[in-house]
Amino acid sequence: MPRSRVFSFADPDAYQEKVRASQAAILTLDRGEFRAALTQIDLDRIWMQWGFDNLPRIARTTIDPERAVLMFIADSEQASSQLGGGELRGDNIAVFGRGSTNIVRTEGGSRWASLSLTHADLAEAGEAIVGQAITCPSETYLVRRPPELLARLRTLHAQAVLLARSAPEMLAAPAVAKALEHALKHAMITALSGAAEVDRRWLPGQHARIVNRFHEFLESRPDEPVYLAEICAAIGASERTLRTCCQEILGVGPVRYLWLRRMYLTRRALLHSDVSTATVTEIATTHGFWELGRFSVEYRGLFGESPSTSLRRPILPVEDKKTA
Amino acid sequence: MKGFGGGAFTDPDDVFSNVLDLDAELVLTSRIPFGARVSWLALRHLRLFVVEEDAPRLTFISLPSGRLFISFSLIDDPAPFWNGIRLHRGDLVLHLPGDRFHQRTAGPARWGLISIKPRDLAAYGRALLGRDIAPSVAMVLRPSVRNSAKLLGLHVQASRLAATRPKLLARREVRRALEQELIHALVMALATGESVTPEAWRRRAEIMGRFEDALAMHDRTQPLPMLCTGIDVPPRTLRSHCAACLGCSPIAYARLRRLNSARLTLLKADSAVTSVAEVARSYGFSEAGRFAVAYRTLFGESPQASLLRAHPISAESA
Repeated sequence: MPRSRVFSFADPDAYQEKVRASQAAILTLDRGEFRAALTQIDLDRIWMQWGFDNLPRIARTTIDPERAVLMFIADSEQASSQLGGGELRGDNIAVFGRGSTNIVRTEGGSRWASLSLTHADLAEAGEAIVGQAITCPSETYLVRRPPELLARLRTLHAQAVLLARSAPEMLAAPAVAKALEHALKHAMITALSGAAEVDRRWLPGQHARIVNRFHEFLESRPDEPVYLAEICAAIGASERTLRTCCQEILGVGPVRYLWLRRMYLTRRALLHSDVSTATVTEIATTHGFWELGRFSVEYRGLFGESPSTSLRRPILPVEDKKTA
Repeated sequence: MKGFGGGAFTDPDDVFSNVLDLDAELVLTSRIPFGARVSWLALRHLRLFVVEEDAPRLTFISLPSGRLFISFSLIDDPAPFWNGIRLHRGDLVLHLPGDRFHQRTAGPARWGLISIKPRDLAAYGRALLGRDIAPSVAMVLRPSVRNSAKLLGLHVQASRLAATRPKLLARREVRRALEQELIHALVMALATGESVTPEAWRRRAEIMGRFEDALAMHDRTQPLPMLCTGIDVPPRTLRSHCAACLGCSPIAYARLRRLNSARLTLLKADSAVTSVAEVARSYGFSEAGRFAVAYRTLFGESPQASLLRAHPISAESA
């Protein structure tokens, strides 16, 4: 049964909970009020997502190994994003490696679109439409295609999202969903096939691998502050190497990134704590912030509210990781 | 000594032996009595101190083995001297375990000290820089203004917390965050610091160490030629080294040193059983009258007055 859902968010955490990837971590890099929207459409075989977020951010996602996932910029006029150190431009499609982990960084407001199929469905669609199976490699790569090939896919994707938002009952009608899916499959396979002869840029490189080790170490300590010397020692990369790699792929240096991560951990803890039993001082110091005045100023700058306001908000339920 | 804290002291022994855990021979050079405020913080790998002193002094320090020390002045004027080398604010003196050196201050002083085990510093150097930064010889390093300001700023902040915010520092994560920031700043400052150590200092420091050993062995001052023969140094050389490291002649320093020892003894003695003449004699002053004059000139009070004070030092430290 086809279905669609439309969300909007004011909090990066809530956004990251809903984005479909087996694991997503989103950090915004600039001060300002965060706004994001997400539309998900599940047809019979194809699952689609369309997202918008308004601030420069870093998103690290791990692809579901069961599915082949493509992503492109939804608005072809939009500034490029960075994917694993490569430039994701308006005329690119990112083909994610099977089960791979990828980092996408945006410089500001960003609209993105993704599509996925099981590997078997992708192969079968390739056979049926262009007479050859299309497979997902283990590492992510970018395909550059003539604009008109991508335009067809982009337009269909946008029409589906428009329907989901304005007339979801139409999408739920099996005949409409079936026609849409057929057209999408066709556009997708056409856009991908023959890509071997054009610009096919493999990601990630050595720098992305170091940043992946950096993130793996952070994920092994999910709620704990981590500092530069510890992580350099753990992953065997010097401060200078790590700085180069993080700048290239995350757009910020490791010290700044680790600081942002601590800010987010603190915010999460404030939102999940009970104002009658916890204090801002206790939570901030647990995350290694020892200059409380400066912490408050920086917190407000990043999240647009004071730490005590965050603490006083009703406690957020601990959500199950999305299962859809 | 607790893991962190702060306090005011009037006995140099409390500061150098008990808090800093160093062996120090301290000689006051003016009427200003010794007074110091110290804050300290012992973290997992680092120990930090900030010392603020009122009185100018000459000090011969012997470092314990097992730890590296980094010392620095937190003020530019009056400048302190390490082994006769003038230190500017931002200069870091890197001392090896077991080093012996002279420190001279010409007025009030405010300085910082960090210690770390050599293998911990080596491990952090490898982690952050991918290479060893453990030095093989003591030196004065001048990091970039940014790197030294970062280290000194953090050091002062941490020490201030140690003295004023015990509850905050009782938190493990606060100590960890502070230590990690400090280690990062320390490694960067050491790695980017340029050595500004003059060539001649090692030979000079070695001779000055022998000079101190000779003074420590004899209660009364030997004549200069005999002293110089004993340590195998030409008098000219010793005079010029003393001028550089101590700002005075060898004989004047020996005398200052004995007057200071006599003062410590008088301040701790019981006037019922000890006399000034006795103390004077035991430090090689055979004429009590001349001793009293020299004593009063240096410290601004008579030896009798020092003796009669009711054990002020032991009373305060009790």
